[in-house]
Amino acid sequence: MLKLTRRELLAGAGAATALSFAQLADARGLLLEPLLDDVVAAALAAAAKAKATYADVRIVRRRQEVIQTREDHVTGVESHQSYGVGVRVIAGGAWGFAASSRVDPKEAARVATLAAETALADSKLLKRPVELAPEPTHVDVWQTPLSKDPFKIPVDQKVELLLAINAEILKVPGVKFANSSVESLGEWKLFASSEGSYIEQNVIRIGPTVRATAIDAKTGEFVSRDHPIQPMQAGWEYIEAARLVADGRRMGEDAVAKLKAPSVEPGKRDLVLSPEHLYLTIHESVGHPTELDRAMGYEANFAGTSFATPDKRNKLKYASTAVTLYADKTTPGGLATCGYDDDGVQTGRWDLVKDGIFVGYQTTREQASWIGEKRSRGTSYAEDFKSFPFQRMPNVSLQPAQSDVRLEQLLAGVDDGIYIEGAGSYSIDHQRYNFQFGGQVFHAIKKGKLAGPLKDVAYHSNTVDFWNRCEAVGGRSSWKLCGALHDGKGEPTQSNAVSHGCPPALFRGIEVLNTNRRRQS
Amino acid sequence: MRELKNPEALISSVFAAAKRLNPDAQVLVKLGSTSAGNLRFARGEVTSTGDADDETVSVTIQVGKRRAVGTANQVDAATVRDTVERAYRLAKISPEDPEVMPVLGPQKYLTAPSAFDPASDRLSAEHRASAVESALGVAKSAGEDLDLAGYFERQSLAQTIATSAGARAGHRLTRVRLSTTARTSDGTGSGWAAAHSQRASEVKPAELARRAVDKATRSRKPRPLAPGRYTVVLEPAAVAEMLNALSFQLPARLADEGRSFFAAPGGGTRVGEKLFSEKITLRSDPADAAAPSAPFDDEGMPLKPTTWIESGKLLALSYTRFWAQKMGKAPTGQHASWQLGAGDASLEALISGVKRGLLVTRFWYTRTLDPQTLLLTGLTRDGLFLIENGQVVAPVNNFRYNESVAQMLKNVDAVGSERVRLPAWPGILVPALRSREFNFASVSEAV
Repeated sequence: MLKLTRRELLAGAGAATALSFAQLADARGLLLEPLLDDVVAAALAAAAKAKATYADVRIVRRRQEVIQTREDHVTGVESHQSYGVGVRVIAGGAWGFAASSRVDPKEAARVATLAAETALADSKLLKRPVELAPEPTHVDVWQTPLSKDPFKIPVDQKVELLLAINAEILKVPGVKFANSSVESLGEWKLFASSEGSYIEQNVIRIGPTVRATAIDAKTGEFVSRDHPIQPMQAGWEYIEAARLVADGRRMGEDAVAKLKAPSVEPGKRDLVLSPEHLYLTIHESVGHPTELDRAMGYEANFAGTSFATPDKRNKLKYASTAVTLYADKTTPGGLATCGYDDDGVQTGRWDLVKDGIFVGYQTTREQASWIGEKRSRGTSYAEDFKSFPFQRMPNVSLQPAQSDVRLEQLLAGVDDGIYIEGAGSYSIDHQRYNFQFGGQVFHAIKKGKLAGPLKDVAYHSNTVDFWNRCEAVGGRSSWKLCGALHDGKGEPTQSNAVSHGCPPALFRGIEVLNTNRRRQS
Repeated sequence: MRELKNPEALISSVFAAAKRLNPDAQVLVKLGSTSAGNLRFARGEVTSTGDADDETVSVTIQVGKRRAVGTANQVDAATVRDTVERAYRLAKISPEDPEVMPVLGPQKYLTAPSAFDPASDRLSAEHRASAVESALGVAKSAGEDLDLAGYFERQSLAQTIATSAGARAGHRLTRVRLSTTARTSDGTGSGWAAAHSQRASEVKPAELARRAVDKATRSRKPRPLAPGRYTVVLEPAAVAEMLNALSFQLPARLADEGRSFFAAPGGGTRVGEKLFSEKITLRSDPADAAAPSAPFDDEGMPLKPTTWIESGKLLALSYTRFWAQKMGKAPTGQHASWQLGAGDASLEALISGVKRGLLVTRFWYTRTLDPQTLLLTGLTRDGLFLIENGQVVAPVNNFRYNESVAQMLKNVDAVGSERVRLPAWPGILVPALRSREFNFASVSEAV
């Protein structure tokens, strides 16, 4: 095929996209274009010379800005950045990887050679050589669609917003503390492979947090309420569109109400879970179990394995027929959304659980053939230049119902239950069976209606049993994209940002616990 | 390791760049360099590997009560200048932070034993491959169908802290760690073992593999056991995971503000109260020979040996400089290492004192359920065994626990004599513990 150099591609792109290329140039920082081409060329040549049969080079610049406040003042303003070059090779059938923070052709050649030597040293510990599923070569650019680059919004403007939110929260009697923060993450990377792919991407993510804490001075009891706003792949316009200041008072009132709420009676209940809560349950009980490397034992020494083994594919009734869960690296705003993964594979969407049946896995180029698939699903990711790319979770979402079921309709079907909003404590075993989740705000449901706040609630279940108890899910208008900026996996642990979209959903007969030990101590 | 060529010149250039921007700016510079390499293996073969060298320069600029931090991982003149300018620009437009304290002047630091082992610096790829090969060899020769997975890592780290007011501190360390998990092919047995040391010679791959394989084969076909309260013998990894949650509660401010286990009802802290078993003593000492660490914190404060809990009594909480000044206390610095006092019992002796209970290899996915009571939840994994009449009699199914670390420490009746550090919590040095009435809430089918 005709291969364009990146420079030719950029030159040919024309004036229509000039603005976005200006954004890309800005994201590269001090890295100059001719240098990048030279670094790539030096690394690929050195890898080939050192007997690598495949090589890819990633030059990555990461930026992170964190602003934190409490009550009436700022407590932290930090701006971090890192860049460097990582070279991954296959030599002697084994992976090799080396990285350096010095981005120059000589250093790139050194790390490429080291990567190949390491691969050859390790190849004696190999049972079967690494094979990559075929992928067309891609020469392309991709970037987060945004209108306001958060790194260009002045810090004082951000602080002003956060302090205004805190002030609203503190207007509520009984609220003692208010904390808020905003984190901006910029990830620019250039991927080039010995197969001819040449891909430049710039991803911008933003994550605000807001917390109100109320304390009962007499008993010493304290509770917190976090704002339901979610991290998103977006610009500052996302923050501007949120009604954070207007919501401040409600956060404070929720915290005080929770403090005064009756403690839950344990027992089996019907649960209606809000999207801001359910996303984390999806993450833990569907996202991680359907990672193919986990299922095959590759994470056995750390995060564990998975009950969802390949022999159960197309057989296991993972969930009720109301449930279809899909992976999608193209969801607009999704934290794991991008044009290409870190194997250079074009991203897409596919089902993991369809109408209740377990049907799919998350794969990389190395893994596709393990389950007889011809092409990778495109889920390879490395946190930064010095991290080895491996299988990471795409956005995993719950499909809404075809008819437009509203939250009120789900509640109406519950005689005695609990409606849970927001994410709380979460814990799941190393094969993803037994889990226990808390939440932010709990409401009793009596005869189809919300009937006042509760506290000290957690629920416990088993993944397959839980999802088979899902009776109904909300419709499209109730679907919301939620997520986490930092999900850990692997050794050394790498962070990955991932979103989960879902409507509220109704689960029948789930075991509810009371987490209050104060009465006992 | 790859050291920064001339750190003093780099520090001077940061101070000079800051001074040009504002002669009154106070500056805290932190320089770090890291060299790390690893090898992962699973299903009895190598799965990935990596070597990385990196540097960081972190610049904190204070102008009056305004403060900001800029970091970069490049040490060329242009990037350093850009980082100083970025920090200054952010500081200038940041609102005043009433909690900002002046940067520290010259300090005296205690002399800690070296945490840097030259023989463990820059271990080669061949060394890693050989270490892992010997572990895999143990699994292969065990005569069973076992899958061995694991992670070997070497790190060399150096850090220097300097302030424009004259504080200077430096620390170097090496880390070598290996953890390994053996799983039986029938999927019913799993065992784990790990070691962490500054010296590669103390991390013994074959020995660790033997322990993991032994646990895996002995934990096969677990007996069903109902959840409930049991006496437990917690091996050091299980203790470290729970203690880690407790360490986050030590700041006095959390207690003074009424949001910690150490807050007294009605106000104040619980310092002086006997909260735990008299067998529990918790200290931080950077000079502890078994776990040497940097004798200074992130802003250059000297870290002195401190006893937090002595014979079960809460003696002290930690104070930042700001909170110490506000409360009229002495600042403690921000400790990053904790040592739980050793007892006199071998693991066998801990087990032999149990009429009916459980031996816990380790916990997994521990999270706080209620910060006020330090109620945690998590799961057992990689070897849970029933003890009857002082003997380990059978493997049992895994459990989820819902138990307070404070309650667990209160119920301790015996402490192990051998203390270890583990890869996940390099700052924590712990023995095994025996504790009564530990609450297992539900069964986990996971193996």
